[in-house]
Amino acid sequence: MVKEQANWSPYDNNGGSCVAIAGADYCVIAADTRMSTGYNILTRDYSKICQLADKCVMASSGFQADVNALKKNLYAKHLIYQHQHNKQMSCPAMAQLLSNTLYYKRFFPYYSFNVLGGLDSEGKGCVFTYDAVGSYERVGYSSQGSGSTLIMPFLDNQLKSPSPLLLPAQDAVTPLSEVEAVELVKTVFASAAERDIFTGDKLEIVVLGASGIRREYMDLRKD
Amino acid sequence: MADTRSAILRRIFNPSQVPLIKGTRSSSIFQYNGSALVAMVGKNCFAIASDRRLGVQLQTIATDFQRIHKIHDKLFIGLFGLATDAQTLYQRLVFRHKLYQLREERDMKPETFSSLVSSILYEKRFGPYFCQPVIGGLGDDDKPFICTMDSIGAKELAKDFVVAGTASKSLYGACESMFKPDMEPEELFETISQALLSSVDRDCLSGWGGHVYVVTPTEVKERILKGRMD
Repeated sequence: MVKEQANWSPYDNNGGSCVAIAGADYCVIAADTRMSTGYNILTRDYSKICQLADKCVMASSGFQADVNALKKNLYAKHLIYQHQHNKQMSCPAMAQLLSNTLYYKRFFPYYSFNVLGGLDSEGKGCVFTYDAVGSYERVGYSSQGSGSTLIMPFLDNQLKSPSPLLLPAQDAVTPLSEVEAVELVKTVFASAAERDIFTGDKLEIVVLGASGIRREYMDLRKD
Repeated sequence: MADTRSAILRRIFNPSQVPLIKGTRSSSIFQYNGSALVAMVGKNCFAIASDRRLGVQLQTIATDFQRIHKIHDKLFIGLFGLATDAQTLYQRLVFRHKLYQLREERDMKPETFSSLVSSILYEKRFGPYFCQPVIGGLGDDDKPFICTMDSIGAKELAKDFVVAGTASKSLYGACESMFKPDMEPEELFETISQALLSSVDRDCLSGWGGHVYVVTPTEVKERILKGRMD
């Protein structure tokens, strides 16, 4: 007696990878710009990064329709917060909001793998990494998406962020300078684009610093 | 033991029905034992490395398991996949190589050896060995040669590095970022060790340190790495 399987799924995977690295007073968030479905490319120029608040940027890979719905939801909640509190949401607050929003749909999840980057209230870089149903953790660096299994070990090797199991609790941000962190992100995406078919075309890098937000682009393999 | 035996048989014939963890969807027979293997080419040398864990699904059975075997001084083969098939295949290959040595009065060249492995695997095309080899050797004029193949013998010759194992995706990422052409033996050892250790740290089925062989025309250096012991 074989259980009947559905022949239609509400989800699709549009591929792509995202990375975020936290520094002492900056945060680098990057994602490729390829949107694909199955083995086809839908567009080479799709931004997976969105700015949720002035010190908070989210990069998401997975099913982009769900990502867009999630974004709309978060923008609306942020607007209400601004009306009620007369200030922008801080990054840790937005992190908690994102987690709650994802868990709200625990039994029909947003198929979105997010990485949230920004500056906390002390101006230090912070990165939060999520799964599809809202489990999150503040870390020094993270990657999500189809290329994450290729990218993560190399980031572990280079950034040597201490384990959260060590006591006393050690700082998770990297001592690298902003320029070095951006170079690392470029290297890591170039390698991921070589071996992951869903990552490529162009890399969009967003750097959040004390002076504001900066955007940079780099070409990746187009095959 | 009977449980394990029947579990393996069920997984081979109906891999989709027998899960790694009870109650979850299954994974393949290649993830039964778990491993990580990588070979890299340097300047007139090559390095081949593996992890040391032998597991049965999620239980660790041995932490000093030898996956890389010497065929002759300038030829090494690492075997990933079902450990029983790896051992059988290794014994068959040693047998064939010894016969070759008796007939030809010389060692087999790595290119020849890889063709031998490929044909032995393809002999079992419709009932394969669940095993993927990674071969590294020094050929004519001590030119380094590496290759890997799938379980039915499709060769992949690469000029830079080859990877295999449950940690293969992580290994691809780490090696792609860290590899440089024409590295000297010491630098090659550092690079391959870092790539191996950071990749197995992200894979729960491989780990418990590493075994690295760096082979140059004059000597073979075998080193054991201590990493995260989990």
